[in-house]
Amino acid sequence: MITIQGLSKSFTTRSGERVDALRDVSLDVGENEFLTVLGPSGCGKTTLLRAVAGLVPWDGGDIAVDGSPVRGPGPDRAVVFQNFALLPWATVLDNVAFGLRMRGVGRAERAERARSLIATVGLEGCEAKLPGELSGGMQQRVGIARALTVRPRVLLMDEPFGAVDEQTRRLLQEELLAIWEEHRMTVVFITHSMEEAVLLGDRVALMSARPGRIAEIVPVRLPRPRSRDVGGVARSGEYAEITAYLWERLRDMHAEHRPDRAHRPDEVAS
Amino acid sequence: MTAPTPVEHRPGGARRRPAAARLRRLPAAPVSLAAGAAAWEAVGRTADASALPPLSTVLDRLVEATRQGTIASSLADSLVNLALGLVISLAAGLLVGTAMGRWRRVDAALGVYVHALLAAPSLVFAPVFFSLLGAGRASIVAVVVTYAVFVVVVNTAAGVRSVPPHLVEMAHSYGASERQVLVRVVLPAAAPLIMAGVRLGVGRAVTGMINGEMFISVVGLGRLVTEAGGRFDSAGVLAVLLIVIAVALAALALVQAVDRTVTRWVPRTWKEER
Repeated sequence: MITIQGLSKSFTTRSGERVDALRDVSLDVGENEFLTVLGPSGCGKTTLLRAVAGLVPWDGGDIAVDGSPVRGPGPDRAVVFQNFALLPWATVLDNVAFGLRMRGVGRAERAERARSLIATVGLEGCEAKLPGELSGGMQQRVGIARALTVRPRVLLMDEPFGAVDEQTRRLLQEELLAIWEEHRMTVVFITHSMEEAVLLGDRVALMSARPGRIAEIVPVRLPRPRSRDVGGVARSGEYAEITAYLWERLRDMHAEHRPDRAHRPDEVAS
Repeated sequence: MTAPTPVEHRPGGARRRPAAARLRRLPAAPVSLAAGAAAWEAVGRTADASALPPLSTVLDRLVEATRQGTIASSLADSLVNLALGLVISLAAGLLVGTAMGRWRRVDAALGVYVHALLAAPSLVFAPVFFSLLGAGRASIVAVVVTYAVFVVVVNTAAGVRSVPPHLVEMAHSYGASERQVLVRVVLPAAAPLIMAGVRLGVGRAVTGMINGEMFISVVGLGRLVTEAGGRFDSAGVLAVLLIVIAVALAALALVQAVDRTVTRWVPRTWKEER
């Protein structure tokens, strides 16, 4: 479904330093797969997602969706943003219908499809409200509904629940899983939470920082539908094991980037 | 002294007296206007200076001039100058400001002119217009535009530049064209700053109108001011001034009505009365 091959991107910081945001990243995401991308902050996971979305250029390598190379945003992909990116002057209905409007869908059909998605994310009755009148969790529900109205084949989610509180986050995870069980699609989900990565993903792509690269792909062979309920996979030993393993790997990565614990080749040699 | 009811225990605050409460409930703007009028009247009467007649004298003069019919025709003349100048200023200001805010090269090319002309005393261009456009309406409208347009340009450019990049990126992710980004994201997001510029522009346009009418071709309200000044008729000058102020306030009220509808979504940060 999504093929990423040898993707590299570097940028220059304000202080003139060259940073490899992504170096030689190769990754395949299957049709209707739920892939979570986990990594320390600054590992380039958001850059990777933005490249797949066609929102940023890259230096080398190829990205293809369904065999056709990515050269910009396309109707086959929709993005859910970490900071929601809702238009503060537009009602919930208009925000949800925004993508359809950009794609030239007529007013009546826009409203109908938007209303149905608003119901799916549980926001009936909020159609005429402004984003500023909603809680963070409700705002991200609007963001998810907006992405789903355009019926994308690939849903790109950039730490979508990173800006909401823990309780809301859990609710949103469960709702996202329920929506995905019903409308299967390919999802790439960026997160910095081990638990979230394991609960949601078919596989976890573990990234390391500076240079940003795929360190390991960890399969999550937990049965679906997944839940946190008694008897749900989130209570299983395997869930705990994978989560613990991911944390172990992440802690090692963080340690490598601490100057006092840095691995220094010259010292090893002497 | 009655026993205090629980309601009266406000944290850190004294009990509110009934008189103070009544005063707080009075509408602020009319009270302020009445106070200003009373002060004018008092200063005018005590100073007894010919340059500052009391408000009552000025109002008498205003009624008299209105009866003679000179005010109505001059006012109509001036309003046409103001309206033409404002329409041109808004159209040009929005266009140039949006281009400067959106494209760095346009900003680099035009920014220096805009800021220079914003700072320059606009009246110095009056002789230029006079010689190029003659002594007619065109020159006065041009003066109005030089007074009003640059502040609209500067604010529009600032508003367009301040649009959150993540909103533009979101629009791009849905395949929005540059025109769609401008109309559906950039301009609505910039509306609060644009409207602030329009408000300033309207005030400056009224100034430009009067100055143009006084210094280029003696028409409209500017002519009334000039004539009254020539007669050393201070009450007459101030009577016209009252009309000019009324025009400015009416124009501002119009702008504020538009402002309220386009920036309804902006959260208000000022302190509300309890």
